[in-house]
Amino acid sequence: MTGVLSAPGFPEASIRSRARDGARGVFPPMDGYGLTLFGAGGVSRPGTAEGGTDPLDAMRLVPPVFMPQRLEMLTELAREPLYGDVALDTEIGGFRSPLPFYVSAFGSTQVSSSGLGLAVSRQAGRLGIPLVIGENVVPTNGYADSSEQTGNGMLARLRAYESELPDGLGGMAFQQSTEDADAEVWNLLYSDPGAQPLLESGRLAFELKVGQGAKPGLGGMTVLQRATADRLAGQYSTDESVFDGGEQVLRCSSPGTFTAEILRQQIRFMRNNYPRARVWVKLPPGRDIHDAAQVAWASGADSVTVDGAEGGSGWAPSSFLDQVGLPLAECLRRLGSQPRSHCLLVSGRMWEGARAVKSLALGARAVGLGRAALLAADEDPEEGLARLVACLALETRMLISSLGKYRPAALDQDDVWLPGATGLGHLA
Amino acid sequence: MSSQFAPSRPGTPPEHLKSPVTQSVLRIQNQIVQAARELLLEQGFVELLPPIIGPVTDPGGRGAKQVDIDFYGNRYKLMTSAILYKQASLLAFDKIFYVAPNVRLEPLETADTGRHLAEFHQFDVEIAGASQQDAMRVAQDIVTAAVARVVRTMGSELEILGRDPDAFAPLLNKTGAFEQISHTDAMEDLVRLGHEQNHDAEIDWEGEGILSHKSDSPFFIIDYPKGSRGFYDREDPERPEVLRNFDLIAPEGYGELISGSEREYDYARIIARMRETGENPAKYEWYLKMVRDGIPSSSGFGIGIERLTRYVAGLDSVWKATAFPKIPGVVSP
Repeated sequence: MTGVLSAPGFPEASIRSRARDGARGVFPPMDGYGLTLFGAGGVSRPGTAEGGTDPLDAMRLVPPVFMPQRLEMLTELAREPLYGDVALDTEIGGFRSPLPFYVSAFGSTQVSSSGLGLAVSRQAGRLGIPLVIGENVVPTNGYADSSEQTGNGMLARLRAYESELPDGLGGMAFQQSTEDADAEVWNLLYSDPGAQPLLESGRLAFELKVGQGAKPGLGGMTVLQRATADRLAGQYSTDESVFDGGEQVLRCSSPGTFTAEILRQQIRFMRNNYPRARVWVKLPPGRDIHDAAQVAWASGADSVTVDGAEGGSGWAPSSFLDQVGLPLAECLRRLGSQPRSHCLLVSGRMWEGARAVKSLALGARAVGLGRAALLAADEDPEEGLARLVACLALETRMLISSLGKYRPAALDQDDVWLPGATGLGHLA
Repeated sequence: MSSQFAPSRPGTPPEHLKSPVTQSVLRIQNQIVQAARELLLEQGFVELLPPIIGPVTDPGGRGAKQVDIDFYGNRYKLMTSAILYKQASLLAFDKIFYVAPNVRLEPLETADTGRHLAEFHQFDVEIAGASQQDAMRVAQDIVTAAVARVVRTMGSELEILGRDPDAFAPLLNKTGAFEQISHTDAMEDLVRLGHEQNHDAEIDWEGEGILSHKSDSPFFIIDYPKGSRGFYDREDPERPEVLRNFDLIAPEGYGELISGSEREYDYARIIARMRETGENPAKYEWYLKMVRDGIPSSSGFGIGIERLTRYVAGLDSVWKATAFPKIPGVVSP
């Protein structure tokens, strides 16, 4: 099962190394210890986007000299605080999480149907961090799929996650988009005995998928074998022109039509219909991201997820991957600072601590691991994700403490600097 | 839980069917159906036999799931309600009704409300050109006629069931319309009574139970907010966000008997409302084509026959008002 995925343009080797070796991956290789002189531009930023153009990667975290919050911590502890004193537990969209991380959705694409779904679900459950199950999983892979080996079905992923979930932590969010509303994913879950333990313990959320991160403005696209496409013909449109009528068919969804009123009412209707579930909303990186997020929060969404235009597990036209949609940094800038009551979740190229901490400083409550979680589970289905998350947590603690702070909520825009910008707090 | 009624479950089918209680209840139900049917026919309604399956059904609310069936390779639905077909029926007749079976796989939390069945029946009424108030008058007429007939003809059955006919005196002595209270006022009442809930939503089971217990006669709650009901309940053109709809609430804790509304009938309005309720218009192809060609404005409602029977017979649980009960989540013959 291992080693089936690749992720061009993504620091796959570093992620696999962390998934394999754990916390030592946070540091340069030990064989250079005492022998190599390290400096900026060396090994320290393997996650930088291809071409180095990603504005979030281009930013730096900038610790101050004077640290009043460290003094507060020193007073409380009666000793100098260390990075281990950073408390990372938080609330994510109504769920308690030990870490400001969650596993973001990967849908029905082959990469997430190839047996990794269960591995990721199980490890996320063990960690007690929230897990999002993507749209189209039910229509494409089924609901109560009996194939426990592959974990294609939604219930299999739910059981895998729940079986290792500690009491009081975590939760699952299930996406539904306009077109898979036909499959009644939320109604299925809300009435299913298998979902009752999560529902009754307040750990079930429904996520309204408003658009795609990797291809904003378009709906989901997957490449299906013709037989599968024929089975789904009544539900989805297909484009025969892409593969010249061969054995493969491009399935195209519509993202659905939204206006401010449609979004507002859909959220209200979700709250009306599923009063015991949390309501999450996933927005594409649209230019009106600020307005859309405000509508979602004002309508009662427990969280708003913003997926930067940073790629994903899905099939997308190359022109979209490279040239369409706002990068995550620009989404964060347009969203501006949020009251702490607004839970903002972000995803897009997350795998290591600096990008995560920058996102937290720029207003996010938590960051989502997408492709990185898949790669880690692909490297080691039993412990890969757990080790990757351990690295991420260690780095996050180190970085936050370096800023003289001891909780993610204490971070702010002053902790981040964009080269070329004048002064601090330049993102406001 | 919305009421003081203790949760209960039916025995085996023979136990249930041979029970004198069941037999009295079903006799009462017969009279209720008869009374409603006679009244509607006298008022010029045409009874149609309802559809059971279709490519699409009422999307409803509150999380109930639809039942899929295979229709020659196409995914069809059992009717959760025949609302779309009621609007279509007005192309044939101006005033129609069905006695319609419906199936809704309700969330498991409804198993012990005493008022939910996964399989139930409705008097489904639709009136072309009618307003919200017009429909409410017909609904009141039906309930009053049914109760009056049972009190007049079913004294011994009511006695077997321990249902005091005097409980209906406030209803039967009423000379005017049933009381009406807006959803907004109902919410304020509930806040005063210490029950806080989401104000943009349906009144929850508990809140509805509180209001029902307060009253000695059926009453209407009108003008629910958008976001609490399906796309077909008409938004008030003069008061955006407010739907021109209504529920009839039975007293004594029995709760909702009827849901009804003026209907959306304008094509573009229906498309927008479908999106606002998270629907994919593509699956409503036949309905939207019909609406685009023009359907009459209308109002209508559905009366839960088992719920009305439960109220009239004074039953703790609605499953006692059916010969073959299907409680949500309880696998039953």
